[in-house]
Amino acid sequence: MTLIWTTRPWFWIVVLAAVALVLPLVVSNPFAVDIFIRVLLFAFIGVAWNLMGGYAKQLSLGHAAYFGLGAYTSTILLIRFGISPWIGIIAGGVVAMLASLPIGALCFRLRGPYFAIATIATAQVLMLLFLKFRDFAWGAEGTTLPNLGDAPLMMQFDSKAAYYYLALALLALGLAITYRIERSWMGFYLVAVGEDEDAAEAVGVDTTKIKRHIYLISAFLTALGGTFYIQYIYFIDPNTAFSFNISVEAALVSIVGGIGTLWGPVVGTILLEATSALLQSWFGSGHGGVQLTVYSLILVSVILWRPSGLVGVFSDLYRRFTYAGAARSKEVPLDG
Amino acid sequence: MLATLAQAVVNGLLIGGIYALVSIGVTLIFGVVKIVNFAQGEFVMIGMYISFFLASTFGVDPLLSLLISMPSLFAIGVLLQHFLIRRVLALGDMPQIFLTFALSLLLMNIALLLFTANYRTVQTPYSELTFHIGPVYFAVAKLIAFAIAMLLSALLYLFLHGTDLGKAMRAAAQNREVAMLMGINPDRVFCVAVGVALALAGAAGSLLMPFYPAYPLVGQIFVLMAFVAVVLGTLGNITGALIASLMMGVAESLGVQFVGADSGLIVVFVMLLLTLAFRPNGLFGGWAR
Amino acid sequence: MAEALVIRNLSKRFGGLRAVQDLSFAVQDGETVALIGPNGAGKTTSFNLITGYHRPDTGSVFGFGRELVGLRPHEICGHGLARTFQVARPFGKMTVLANVMTGAFLRNKNLDTARSRARTAIEFVGLSAKEHTPARELTTIDQRRLEMARALATEPRLLLLDEVMAGLNHAEIDQAVAVIGKLSKRGLTIVIVEHVMRAIMAVARHIVVLDHGQKIAEGSPKDIVANQEVIRAYLGTGYRHEAPAEDAAC
Repeated sequence: MTLIWTTRPWFWIVVLAAVALVLPLVVSNPFAVDIFIRVLLFAFIGVAWNLMGGYAKQLSLGHAAYFGLGAYTSTILLIRFGISPWIGIIAGGVVAMLASLPIGALCFRLRGPYFAIATIATAQVLMLLFLKFRDFAWGAEGTTLPNLGDAPLMMQFDSKAAYYYLALALLALGLAITYRIERSWMGFYLVAVGEDEDAAEAVGVDTTKIKRHIYLISAFLTALGGTFYIQYIYFIDPNTAFSFNISVEAALVSIVGGIGTLWGPVVGTILLEATSALLQSWFGSGHGGVQLTVYSLILVSVILWRPSGLVGVFSDLYRRFTYAGAARSKEVPLDG
Repeated sequence: MLATLAQAVVNGLLIGGIYALVSIGVTLIFGVVKIVNFAQGEFVMIGMYISFFLASTFGVDPLLSLLISMPSLFAIGVLLQHFLIRRVLALGDMPQIFLTFALSLLLMNIALLLFTANYRTVQTPYSELTFHIGPVYFAVAKLIAFAIAMLLSALLYLFLHGTDLGKAMRAAAQNREVAMLMGINPDRVFCVAVGVALALAGAAGSLLMPFYPAYPLVGQIFVLMAFVAVVLGTLGNITGALIASLMMGVAESLGVQFVGADSGLIVVFVMLLLTLAFRPNGLFGGWAR
Repeated sequence: MAEALVIRNLSKRFGGLRAVQDLSFAVQDGETVALIGPNGAGKTTSFNLITGYHRPDTGSVFGFGRELVGLRPHEICGHGLARTFQVARPFGKMTVLANVMTGAFLRNKNLDTARSRARTAIEFVGLSAKEHTPARELTTIDQRRLEMARALATEPRLLLLDEVMAGLNHAEIDQAVAVIGKLSKRGLTIVIVEHVMRAIMAVARHIVVLDHGQKIAEGSPKDIVANQEVIRAYLGTGYRHEAPAEDAAC
């Protein structure tokens, strides 16, 4: 008799999904739920980043640009025009996509670290611009969102659980998109570009177009996260929306968790947020430097020990302890 | 009006000298070791704190503390290359970027923990001293910093072109494999390159102390300027980095003077984006020593 | 017979170095042509110019009647010209099958179609047993096989092979020659850059000789071996060709 939990990987995914769906109903501590929401959100941002940075190895450190554009678009539409954030969130995504076109055209001329620097620069320029836009974007002080109480049609909820499920839905969306891309010709092309752009061109891959397309998707998704975040914390200002920390976190969770893998960003976020929560409970949130110090130590260690991220560790363990690992050809789509 | 312009240009040039020290270090490491050091600014910060503590504890003038900060940072550079950078050299772009990036975060936050976010300054007899030529004022401390920065740059040039080790470095920068075939030990050359680059960063830090405060995040601004200068001046080109740094100092200064007090940064970023748009290989084209 | 590839007055300079100077030659449809010459003669540069990795300073390249200069490499591949690299460049992270499928996707984006076409190409080069091996774990010669399979998966009409025989032993050279022969019998036009004279004499109907970026001779294998210029520049006066390989030419 074969045991279902050792031979069928989807079993574990079902378990995971069930746990995720039930979690906010079981856990009542609002602080805990808040952490879960943050994990979901940053895992989502990480998944969005991973499409570009993990598969195609275009290491953007400026994804906060799209996070912020999404956030500001929906907020401006809400406060200035009374438009529901459900529409605003899509509008934000579209704005981000449009922005990614000129930014990509500019930055893709550079490879490696200089691409990263250029993306940092574009995010910073946007932050600086929004710091100056007093008239329709509230400048440096930012603004709070009007508290409409429980207004689901305006993406405002009384219960934290609602935000949790929304974040979960976003993450599921991101994972679903990644999954579909991974198993299509686009997934192959992305990895080819990530491995060797010149060789990819030689076999007919339009590397410019692929990069542009994945950037569109990545920017769109990141912007959705931006809108959600602002709706959740009821406050926006340029330093929050375009924060360099968001760009870093987006990349960090993928790198630590497993660059270019489906679950990598999720693993990475859980690890980093758990560490962060632990540190907060030990040292209190007063010591600004401790959290990032430990983060960076973790990052350095992962890079030196397992540069492709920790998902590899988990899948090796999984393979060792189950039979499912033996039948690998259907699992990893890049296998063919 | 002309006086204001001249003043802005002078101010820009003087601070540009400091940017030059930082950017030469970045471009040197990039040219020889082929890796971008995101943490370069933090080594400037370390240089600043070294000078600060020498000044506040022993009363050592920051300029004199160059004799301590530069060798210390050279040593740190050698260790950095030998123990950390060497490990990731074969791994490709991504781990390399994130190693120095993580290092940058690490150093900033350790500094935050150890020294708190407070600004630390050093007052020297010449910190407030100025003199003027016509309507243009020169801050003595900045002028000295500029002069020493140029001196160090010249010394570096002599080193790279006049000494065997320097030539070995340039050879390794141009073609690593052939250099190895000629008996050049890459690790030794890399250690020296990183050491020198960090020593220059430390020098920048010491030179800054008489007129600039030290705080954990201070490196960020300088590394940003350095990166833009390195791209502008063409990757790996030391003279290019020098000239570009001076240009950027002037551009920033003009921005602050004529556009707005908080516009220095935007001007710099716009310069970067324009360069990327029209001359992605930098102002000096191709690659150079 | 139609011309698959026409090179006219191609020139390329890198700084002070004239890598290719006023190069002109033509390759007939279905022919196998060898490009030979000493190291640094401009052979790989010519490939790079033909396939769009460098832009020539002057001259034109016609592939199956189309001007190729100015097109990006992927477009040129789309027009039916595929190439291999002198040092194999597999997508290391991907398996052999995935690598070749990436090439197959050019003609058909359907996963199953690409997979079966890829398998065909893999079988052709003899790598079927290693289908699921990650490319970075392959031996050098297997990586070359992979490179060729990947190029074949793009369904080229013209194949440019850059020194596929370098470092192979006697038996492996014979295998490679056989594969090239098979491809030629299927109607593929082939241009090979090679140093292994034995292989060249076996497959090439026509030889173009480069030296210092310029064409110094062109003709049938028999003519080339006897050509004084070629002997001086490349073959060496001690070169003796072993006679009967001419029949093996396709």
